[in-house]
Amino acid sequence: MRIRRRNNLLVEPPSSATGDIAFNLVVFFLVCASVQPEKGIRLTIPSSETVEDKSQQSKHVEILLTRQTVALDGSFIDVDQLLPALEAKLRGKTREEDRVVVVKSSPDTPAHRWIRAVNAIKQARGVVTIQVEEERIVTIPE
Amino acid sequence: MKITRRTPRAEIPSMAMGDIAFNLIIFFVILARAQDDSHVRWTPTRAANVENPAPARVSVAIDVDNNRYLNGQPIGLSQLTGRIEELLRGVEADERVVQFKVHRDATTMVLEPTAEAIAKAGADVFVVVEEETQ
Repeated sequence: MRIRRRNNLLVEPPSSATGDIAFNLVVFFLVCASVQPEKGIRLTIPSSETVEDKSQQSKHVEILLTRQTVALDGSFIDVDQLLPALEAKLRGKTREEDRVVVVKSSPDTPAHRWIRAVNAIKQARGVVTIQVEEERIVTIPE
Repeated sequence: MKITRRTPRAEIPSMAMGDIAFNLIIFFVILARAQDDSHVRWTPTRAANVENPAPARVSVAIDVDNNRYLNGQPIGLSQLTGRIEELLRGVEADERVVQFKVHRDATTMVLEPTAEAIAKAGADVFVVVEEETQ
């Protein structure tokens, strides 16, 4: 009698956890793709101080922002031209106090114009300083 | 001869329980964000030469209606400096960063006092923008 032996050399690994493994991988890749770091511009704004003497302010570069316009030291300029103009103004100034750029803006200036102006100052390695008009109540004697 | 039958026992396969628990933990950790300001409606400004994000524990946002939020909660200007100082208490100078999300059409009437309040708290302002691809 010939005895036939079963050849059980083909062994299949248990595949019951394959679905879970695939699900985990899908979740990991979805999470990695959805978490996008937010880029931006880092600014160090000096803490505020009251300056009475306006002659000291006139030494610094001034940018005036309004709803429609941008002016650099009194000259109207396109916001895209601000960076090369600032680099020219700040060239040769090595001290930090000489690289101060004062930003004045009208109350209705849109934020995107302000951000682009401040970004240009930062790229020109200037020091961003915001000038805010202070309201004073003056009592007039009768 | 008495034939005893074995009562059938149905067992739920519990091999995948560990994976199920692991998945649930991951889902809830991702959903539970400490600074949830996803409800704030704003559109970022586009700018070039932006920097990589700085780790920030505090987030200040100005939305489409010029409303101010601190870590997703509405806040007034007078309270902003004090609250930021509390949140950044004990943090070293290099890590005192506040993430500033400003809607592109918000006005400087709201933006500048907010930026000044953040600066008064001794923190750097990280203005979140959308990178402009040239």
